[in-house]
Amino acid sequence: MIKVMIAKPGLDGHDRGAKVVARTLRDAGMEVIYTGIRQTPEQIVQSAIDEDVDILGISILSGAHMKLVPKILELLREKKASVPVFVGGIIPDEDVDKLKEMGVIEVYGPGTSTSEISEQVKSFVEHSDT
Amino acid sequence: MSNIQTHEYELLKGMEKRERRILAKVLSLCESDPGKANILLGKLPKSTAHIVGMTGSPGIGKSTLVNAILNEMPERRVAAIAVDPSSPFTGGALLGDRVRMQSHATSENIFIRSFASRGSLGGLSPSIYEACNAFESFGMNYVIVETVGVGQSEVDIVNVADTVVVALSPDNGDEIQMMKAGLMEIADMFVINKFDNPKSQILLSRLRAAMAMGRKEIPIYLTNALTGEGVSDLVKALNERFLTISSNGVLKKRRKNRLIHHAQSTLKRELDFLIEKIDLEEEGIDLDGLRRKLIHALCWNHSESRK
Repeated sequence: MIKVMIAKPGLDGHDRGAKVVARTLRDAGMEVIYTGIRQTPEQIVQSAIDEDVDILGISILSGAHMKLVPKILELLREKKASVPVFVGGIIPDEDVDKLKEMGVIEVYGPGTSTSEISEQVKSFVEHSDT
Repeated sequence: MSNIQTHEYELLKGMEKRERRILAKVLSLCESDPGKANILLGKLPKSTAHIVGMTGSPGIGKSTLVNAILNEMPERRVAAIAVDPSSPFTGGALLGDRVRMQSHATSENIFIRSFASRGSLGGLSPSIYEACNAFESFGMNYVIVETVGVGQSEVDIVNVADTVVVALSPDNGDEIQMMKAGLMEIADMFVINKFDNPKSQILLSRLRAAMAMGRKEIPIYLTNALTGEGVSDLVKALNERFLTISSNGVLKKRRKNRLIHHAQSTLKRELDFLIEKIDLEEEGIDLDGLRRKLIHALCWNHSESRK
C-alpha cells in the first residue's frame, strides 16, 4: 500500500489542485493524507515523518516555491527522513530545473494529466530505495 | 546479526528512547505486518494510557473535537489515531481528519497518526489493537481513537476504548433514534457538538427522555468544538473517569475484553492468511475436511513458531 501526503505550504489558499491530485491518487488505490492549507514547512515535515509516508507532494501557487521547497527539503534532511518530494502548481520553467537540482523528483505544471501523475507517483515509490 | 535482527534491535532501542521517528516506523509495521508488530511490542514494557474512543456520524465534528481536546491537554502525552474509510473499489483512501488537527503537528507531546479502515467494517483499522499497544509502549498518557464516521452499528470501538464518547450533532434525529440499540448503547459519555445551534436543546431533551426509560444515567456534555466552549468540562470528566475506572474494576474489565478481541483479530488474520494459501485441489474436500485442514495448519504454524 502506497501512503502519500499532499501538503499545501505558505499563504495561498487555492487548494483545488491539491484536492484534485489527492482525489486522483486515492482513486489510483493509494492512501492519501491531506494536510489542508497554510501549513508551515515544519508542520509538513513533522507530519510526513509521523505518518511515515512513502512520498510527499507539495502544492504551491503563490510564487513562493523557491523559499518554501528548499526549506522543506532542508528540514527533511535535518530530520534524516528520506522521503521523495514532488511539486505541483504554477512554477516558471527556469525554476523547475533549479528545484530538480535541489532534489525534487518531479514538477507538475498546469495541464498535466491526472493519470500521468498517479502512474509516475507509483513508479517513484516503487523505485525509491527507502 | 542478520538484517532483520538489527532492524528489530533499532526499533526496540528507539521505542525505549522515545524516538518519534521510530514510533512512526513501528506504527507502519503494525499496519503492514501486525504479527511481527505483536512480537516486537511484546518485548517492550507497557504503560497504561487512557484509551478514549471518539465516535459518531460523519461531519459532526469528531476531528475538530479531538483537536479541541488536544488544546486542553498541554501537559499530557497524547496520541490521536484518526481512522478514515478505505475504498471498497480501489483500496485507496483520503485521510482528511488530520486537517482539523494540524495546529498540533509540531507539538512535542502530541502524535497524530492517520489510519485507513482497510476493509474493516466496525469503524476502525484492522491494526487498531497493535497501534494502541505501540502508543502505550511509547509511554503516552492518552490515546484518543477517532473512528470513521459511523452509522448505527459500527461499534468495534467499544472493544478497544476504556471510555467511549459518542458525539451527536443537533440534527441527529428524534426520540426513536435515541432509543435504538447499537451506537447509542455504547456511550460512556455523550457529547452534543455544535451546541450553538438552537436545535441542540431539542436533541438534549430527547436524549434525556430516552435515557429516562433506561437504568443507566450517562453524562451529556455540550460543546462547540470550533470555539472550544464546553471542552474543558469534557476533558475534566475524562480525567476523573479514568481515576474512577482505575479503582472500581471497570478498567480491568475493559482491558480483559480488549485482550479477547485482540486475540480474536490476530487469529482471524492468521486464518485469512492460511485460507489464501490452502490448496483446494484435493478431490471431494467437504466442510469438515476443510475445517480440519485449517485447524491443523494453524496448530502446525504455532508449534513451528515456538521452535
